[in-house]
Amino acid sequence: MGQSMSEKSLNAAGVSVEFSGLRALDNVSLTLSPAEIVGLIGPNGSGKTTLINAITGQVPLAGGRVTIGGDQISGLSPRRIALKGINRSFQIVRLFNNMTVVENVESSALAHGVSLRQAREKANTLLAEFSLSEKAEDLAGNLSYGDKRRVEIARALAADPAFLLLDEPAAGMNEAESETLLHILSELPRTRGLGLLIIDHDMGLIMRLCNRLHVLASGRTIAEGKADEVRKNPAVIEAYLGSEAANA
Amino acid sequence: MKRHLLTVAILGGLIVLLVLVNQWLGIRLYDRIATNLCISLVLVLGLQVFMGNSGILSFAHMGFMGVGAYTSAVLTIPAQMKGMALPDLYPFLQAVQVSPYLAIAAGGIVAALVAAALSYPLMRLSDAAAVITSFALLVVLYTVMTHWSQVTNGPRTLFGLPKATDLPLAAGVAILALIAALVFKESRTGRLLRASRDDETAAAALGAHIPSLRWRAFILAALFAGVGGALWGHFITSFSPKAFYLKETFLILSMLVIGGANTVTGAIVGTFIVTIAYESLRGFEGVLNEAKIMSNPVIGLTEIVLALAMIAVLALRPGGLFPTREIGALFGRKKTRQENAG
Ligand SMILES: Nc1ncnc2c1ncn2[C@@H]1O[C@H](COP(=O)(O)OP(=O)(O)O)[C@@H](O)[C@H]1O
Ligand SMILES: [Mg+2]
Repeated sequence: MGQSMSEKSLNAAGVSVEFSGLRALDNVSLTLSPAEIVGLIGPNGSGKTTLINAITGQVPLAGGRVTIGGDQISGLSPRRIALKGINRSFQIVRLFNNMTVVENVESSALAHGVSLRQAREKANTLLAEFSLSEKAEDLAGNLSYGDKRRVEIARALAADPAFLLLDEPAAGMNEAESETLLHILSELPRTRGLGLLIIDHDMGLIMRLCNRLHVLASGRTIAEGKADEVRKNPAVIEAYLGSEAANA
Repeated sequence: MKRHLLTVAILGGLIVLLVLVNQWLGIRLYDRIATNLCISLVLVLGLQVFMGNSGILSFAHMGFMGVGAYTSAVLTIPAQMKGMALPDLYPFLQAVQVSPYLAIAAGGIVAALVAAALSYPLMRLSDAAAVITSFALLVVLYTVMTHWSQVTNGPRTLFGLPKATDLPLAAGVAILALIAALVFKESRTGRLLRASRDDETAAAALGAHIPSLRWRAFILAALFAGVGGALWGHFITSFSPKAFYLKETFLILSMLVIGGANTVTGAIVGTFIVTIAYESLRGFEGVLNEAKIMSNPVIGLTEIVLALAMIAVLALRPGGLFPTREIGALFGRKKTRQENAG
């Protein structure tokens, strides 16, 4: 099943989103192929989170459509979209705080119909990969911020998604934590064949991880393409990288 | 798994102890209180199945207790008594008379079926809307019980149920309810439902079908309530619809909330504590009134103290006495910590 899914691309075509008059996304198109990592960047309020919400069905589209391998998924409920093989993390971590770490991770496998025993095995394997085995029985709500972020990603992976959309996964992590995370994420396309879309403000991390970049400003695409080319794009430097480039 | 067995052993042990102390004491009053406590356990564990796992407050539970009690009554009141006890009864039910044990099971099943038929649309609602509609459902069930005189004898007292419930039976059912509540909590449905309780958006984004998860829990909860109602009917042997309304709803809610709705341990500990407090206060009220210390009889002291206790618990420990972990897990953790330290 994972095989046939991984041959298809996730495609957002001309997506627009409006919040009571405010156009948060205007005609944005983005393709995410299996086994590639795309960075989604742009200033605060440029619509990055909204694009993930639009793909996963959390906000309705005012225009455009989202497909996987040609099948339309826009208009479906978040739950149905999740079952089509798309999983996500949230900009503000959303864990099941009164449940243990291992229960959190296995929950997404359970939602996909995996048996209790297999879900537990999967969760334990992922926790080991994320160096969280020691904390398996801790309550998720009691974890440090960096650990919460990793649990959320492990939880998303337990569903074996074809596409994983991460909203600022390294935010609030210290240097060592984000280095470990970078290593884990960079392996995912190869080991699992999944397509990864990642929002982050840490340009160092983005440049090391991503094959392609997609840049938003005020809800519009201002550049997209190969990472190092986009980085040199004058419009991008002006809109977003200006301050960072000056600092560098 | 070990921890779950430990939880069952400790909580089940508590119930068994209650029965053993009763055999040893042989006091009628104690027997009555202990039996009612076990019946309350069945009800509160049912409430925990829905409320604890879904995080949604439900007022409707007592209504399903009523459904169970009346179902079992109609099935067991001896045929020759039915003319008097239920003068308006439908003719096809007049000759029906089954064993009370069968009828108790039927009480649970009918309550579950009624819950299944009525509740699905409500399961899409969350927060205040869900609470208000569950309250409306209680009002509907109560109104039906007070007016459907063909099967309930209307607002009047219905009598003539054979006495079939004793402490060992009630305790046995309570232990079964304890096990069922734990099994449900650890099942796929239970786990995903708890996930939706903690974060609805995240659970839906993982692919959980929240209304259907809630619905299953609600049906199971009604099954417990129906069995509890029938058990109680065969203990008290006569009752009216008033027994399944606001005061009783408040009582079982306070038991669950004080103990901690999220855990089966909390449901059981809360039921024990509130029952003991309730009976002591009532005894104290009686003593006060007997001694005529006050010029007027003291009424409602019990309810007021209970309400204050509930407020105090919610203010100081919002999750109740056992907010997250079952007692078996708490013991298990202590042990591993010590091992790590040693
Ligand atoms: N639920 C919402 N209701 C109203 N406005 C929103 C909502 N979500 C986002 N917005 C607005 O849409 C714009 C894009 O927000 P967002 O996608 O969160 O940006 P980013 O993630 O790039 O920082 C902002 O102006 C934000 O205020
Ligand atoms: Mg954002």
